Amino acid sequence: MRLWGGHGRLRHQRLQTILTVAALATAVALPVVLLSVGGGVSQHELNDLENAGYQIVISAAGLHGVANAHALTDRILAIPSVTAASPVLSVAIDVFLGSGAAVPSLAEGVIPDQFTPTLGPTESGLFPAHLPLGDPTDELHYANGTYAGPANYSILVSSPFAQAYSLSVGQSVKLAPTANDSQAVAYNITGIFGVPLGTLGEVGAFALLLPLSDLQVMTGYAHGPGVPVPDAADTLEVAVTGAVATNPTALNQVRNEIAALVPYYGVSTLSQEAEQLQTAASVLTGFYLALSSVGLTVGLVFLALVMMRRVESDRRSIGVRRALGLPARSIVGRVLLQSVVVAGLGAVIGVVAGILLVEGLATWATGAVQEAAQLAIFVPLTLAELTGAVLVLSLLAGGSAARAALRLDLAEALR
Amino acid sequence: MTGGVVPTVELRGVERTYESGEADEVRALRGVDLSLPPGEVVSIEGPSGCGKTSLLNLLGLLDAPTRGEVRWDGRSVGGRTDRERARLRLERVGFIFQRFYLLPTLTARENVELPMRALGTPRADRQARASALLAEVGLAGRERAFPHQLSGGEEQRVAVARALANQPGLLLADEPTGELDSENTEAILALLGRVQEERKATLVLVTHNPAVAGRARRHLTMRDGRVVGDARGA
Ligand SMILES: Nc1ncnc2c1ncn2[C@@H]1O[C@H](COP(=O)(O)OP(=O)(O)OP(=O)(O)O)[C@@H](O)[C@H]1O
Ligand SMILES: [Mg+2]
Repeated sequence: MRLWGGHGRLRHQRLQTILTVAALATAVALPVVLLSVGGGVSQHELNDLENAGYQIVISAAGLHGVANAHALTDRILAIPSVTAASPVLSVAIDVFLGSGAAVPSLAEGVIPDQFTPTLGPTESGLFPAHLPLGDPTDELHYANGTYAGPANYSILVSSPFAQAYSLSVGQSVKLAPTANDSQAVAYNITGIFGVPLGTLGEVGAFALLLPLSDLQVMTGYAHGPGVPVPDAADTLEVAVTGAVATNPTALNQVRNEIAALVPYYGVSTLSQEAEQLQTAASVLTGFYLALSSVGLTVGLVFLALVMMRRVESDRRSIGVRRALGLPARSIVGRVLLQSVVVAGLGAVIGVVAGILLVEGLATWATGAVQEAAQLAIFVPLTLAELTGAVLVLSLLAGGSAARAALRLDLAEALR
Repeated sequence: MTGGVVPTVELRGVERTYESGEADEVRALRGVDLSLPPGEVVSIEGPSGCGKTSLLNLLGLLDAPTRGEVRWDGRSVGGRTDRERARLRLERVGFIFQRFYLLPTLTARENVELPMRALGTPRADRQARASALLAEVGLAGRERAFPHQLSGGEEQRVAVARALANQPGLLLADEPTGELDSENTEAILALLGRVQEERKATLVLVTHNPAVAGRARRHLTMRDGRVVGDARGA
């Protein structure tokens, strides 16, 4: 069946069709990009959670808000089913290399023999089995909160960092919490660790790992006058025995025990975190859809108008079909078919354009945009549902035009 | 194919007024009473604008009267639904429009097939019948031509073939030979006459051409929306 007719059709009708297809394609491409990238990022975060080697997280309000991290670690380790409790302090610091220029990087202070068991299967391969950071317990330097013991002065450097500045084990670098060379302290590089691809930003990829007490002292988050939080950490990640990890009730019991120790901190299990992430993700998805529905509405209103005009300019042919007695469904069917074909074309082009756009961003964009684009997942079902929704709505748009076609006054149309 | 049964068509006190928007209305038919028994061959003559086409539209259920009643087989068609009337048009009426009204996106044969397709005639049957009808109106070999590739006379002959496609019982021909030379006029008249004979169909011919009117056994004359003459005889 010739839908558009080769002859005697006005060029502007073809232009209208092209514009409608373009409008719908744009309207569809937007949710394709938003949903695939948004979904990919949250999925990635969820995977991170599922792959973590710990099951409970303690966090506090404010920057570096967990106080008395070493002591807290010991108290939590006293709980029977806990296998590891790993405080982590993350501070942006400057690294001074031979040239004297400061390189911003992210330093993580950890207790070595607590940190390793909390690594997930994907991460653990990236670190040396026993972190070569001196005292594995970090108790010697910490010395019951006096920090009077011997400091370690050892540090692990991430492989991108090592690569970028040709750093190797045995070399020494100077670290300072401010871009002030004179306050810098020298550390020995005792190991290199890998960074999973696409998980960290550029600065994040330039990461350092060092004993918690060393970082606390260097940055002033240890003890002494004017320190807002003594023996500070950002989070404390707790690993439990396998039996408890796979038993939600038991896990929750451990969580409650910990919560009783630290009533002012947030204590959540990873499944709670995952739930929260999922809730956040679905709120975002709803937001994306609401945003996209604006474009889709405009596109579909446009389609309805174009179909109306098409019926108007086809009134003679429609009138003849009706005059000959062709059933209403064949007349309605033609209008709906035209509408669905235009919308379907727009939807397919939109989906393809959206995918190409994301792929393009993943290849040629930089920074966070590229990372997010690389995480994008295209769920065939979602894309099909999106296309299906556009098609169903195009029936509505076509329906109004089809009704007009059936209401045409024959004596008028056939004058 | 059985073809449409020949209806008895009656008009009673029919008026048709067109509202052209801004208050000015055209009273195209101003009270027409008419009865067309099955098998009658009628010519309608009258000056341009006297309401001939309007009358045909009402007879063929294409339009509804502003006042009065159109009856088919004794039953008022005003009470029928759009769907029923469309079905009656499809099965029982053959319309040859004054301006042909071929569908520009369909070929000659597809135009002729269209009413048969709507009736569900199998593809092979309707193609064969469409080709045969086109041959009868002298268009063998032009089946694949689009209307814009045809002359006015050829278009008119396609329109005749289309009107005959579903073997209608009521044939309404609005100047069916207006674009034709005398030779083709004769051929078309012969075809219409033969079909009418065969099926005992009712044939209404609107025409200015005495040769066409001569085919009819009943002659109506119209003026200003009224039938002013109704004469019998060849
Ligand atoms: N759809 C319409 N809307 C408004 N006026 C109309 C419409 N159809 C016909 N008319 C008017 O009604 C009158 C009768 O028209 P009609 O077409 O029936 O005349 P006719 O006898 O067929 O003329 P012709 O011989 O020129 O074909 C004319 O004045 C015409 O302008
Ligand atoms: Mg006329």
